[in-house]
Amino acid sequence: MNEHEKRERRTVWLVVALMLLVAVIYAATFIKLPVWLPALK
Amino acid sequence: MARFIIRCGIFKGEDMTEATAAVAHDHPHAGIMRWLTTTNHKDLGILYMSFGGIMFFVGGLFIMAVRAELLYPGLQLLSPGMYNQLFTLHALIMVFGAIMPFATGLNNYLIPLMIGAPDMALPRVNNWGFWILPFAAVLLLIPFFLQFFGTGSGATGLGWMMHNTTLDIQSGIGIDFAIFTILLLGVSSLTGAINVVVTALNMRAPGMVLMKMPLFVWAWLITAFMLILAMPVFSAAATMLLTDRHFGTHFFDAANGGDPILLQHLIWFFGHPEVYIVLLPAWGLIPHILATFSRKPVYGYRAQVYALCAICFLSFIVWSHHMLTSGLPLAAEVYFMYATMAISVPTSVLVFCWLGAIWRGAMTFETPMLFALGFVAHFGMGALTGLVLPDVAVNAQHHNSYVLVAHFHYTFFGGGIFGMMAALYYWLPKFTGHMFDEKLGRLHFWLTVISFNITFIPQWFAGLDGMPRHVADYALRFSAMNFISSVGAFLLGLTQLLLVYIVVRCVRGGPKATGQVWEGAQGLEFTLPSPPPYHTFETPPEVK
Repeated sequence: MNEHEKRERRTVWLVVALMLLVAVIYAATFIKLPVWLPALK
Repeated sequence: MARFIIRCGIFKGEDMTEATAAVAHDHPHAGIMRWLTTTNHKDLGILYMSFGGIMFFVGGLFIMAVRAELLYPGLQLLSPGMYNQLFTLHALIMVFGAIMPFATGLNNYLIPLMIGAPDMALPRVNNWGFWILPFAAVLLLIPFFLQFFGTGSGATGLGWMMHNTTLDIQSGIGIDFAIFTILLLGVSSLTGAINVVVTALNMRAPGMVLMKMPLFVWAWLITAFMLILAMPVFSAAATMLLTDRHFGTHFFDAANGGDPILLQHLIWFFGHPEVYIVLLPAWGLIPHILATFSRKPVYGYRAQVYALCAICFLSFIVWSHHMLTSGLPLAAEVYFMYATMAISVPTSVLVFCWLGAIWRGAMTFETPMLFALGFVAHFGMGALTGLVLPDVAVNAQHHNSYVLVAHFHYTFFGGGIFGMMAALYYWLPKFTGHMFDEKLGRLHFWLTVISFNITFIPQWFAGLDGMPRHVADYALRFSAMNFISSVGAFLLGLTQLLLVYIVVRCVRGGPKATGQVWEGAQGLEFTLPSPPPYHTFETPPEVK
């Protein structure tokens, strides 16, 4: 695999990882954490 | 999977450093098609900046109407409902429509040039991210104009963070349109942020290790991570609000077991990092400008990188200082007070580095330098008052008063917009190939400084005297301060027309700018001619 392909592959995995992170944070917000944290009640 | 995604055509599959030289020599379309279909980072940068500039004047027009109403006590021009819509639209447009897109335009144009890359990593996504914005703006403004034709109850009037809401405060389509606007802006911001992260981490020229990356790129890399962590929470909160309003859920509905304070928590969990999302790009570009006009290298590079990272971290653990009067437990109040004050430590590191950059420098005071120094002075005033406001006892007095309005305008305008103007003047000759009229630039600076302070200094005094914000009418004792503030605001608005004239004149012609542009300028972008060719760094430069 040459440098060009390595970079291309790194780009794709980075994008996929970041999109997954966004999806997880979006979904996790519905857990309503601030309601359950005793320190914030 | 990587191959599959590339073949789906989401990205330009070509390698951005090598094969681009052979493949991507496509010349731009002519006319409107160039701007609709472009994936070139410079074109998109110009589109983003133009959009930000136009929205700056739209948001400015709304606040002119607000200040006209506040010129004298009593209701003269606007109903309270219309007043609420106008200041809300002003805030949403200025933050999400003007400052953020303008900063995104700068990153699009400059990051590839600064790191020696031929383009952003995801050019097609970049085009998509931009063209979402005009639709989002139209969506936000449609209900405002529809009300004049007897349809709907107008645009959202709940303030820029929409947390003043209980579900019954405002019905109608305005909030729904604002929610969809937020969701669209979220998609646009996140695509842009992912693009910046991938570009900065994966597209740097050989030899440009992270600790050689220009501070502007560092600032944007950190900003992008903040967007990725904070924007999904805002989008989710907007979705929850939408389902509460129309689909029978009760996330925020106290009458049915929900928690209205939850909405404040979620929105401020985004809202406080958002303050730094607006400011960090300016903090990243100011050191370049100060160094250039002081004929010195950037001062305290590593310290500034670490300070920016520290501010990013701290910005996520202080959100409830916006909610100190919402009935938090004492322990939480004390925690948020001290955590917020802790931000002053890395912020002070930045300020001292900026001052270190000009210390004993061979300074000259061209327009970009004037705006950069204006940024340091005015942002300093906003930051210092930001140190006082989270004090629990003080906050109880000043919450929702005009002190708050003055404070965040000194940070957002004195910090964000002064920074953007410094950047615009600094790189305008690079963008256009022409020098702007220096005398007019300086006149623009001084008129902006004077009118800005005439507008906002009286608001400190009105606030300290107890004037609440978000009200269309006020007690007689606030008359003088409001009159002065309104006159200042009109002058500030008019002054910005001078900026338009300077920019248009510079675009149309003027003395030729050299590649170096400014005597002390450093960085890869200044090794290119002005304006840079359509495709740049097809062969990556070697950075030592």
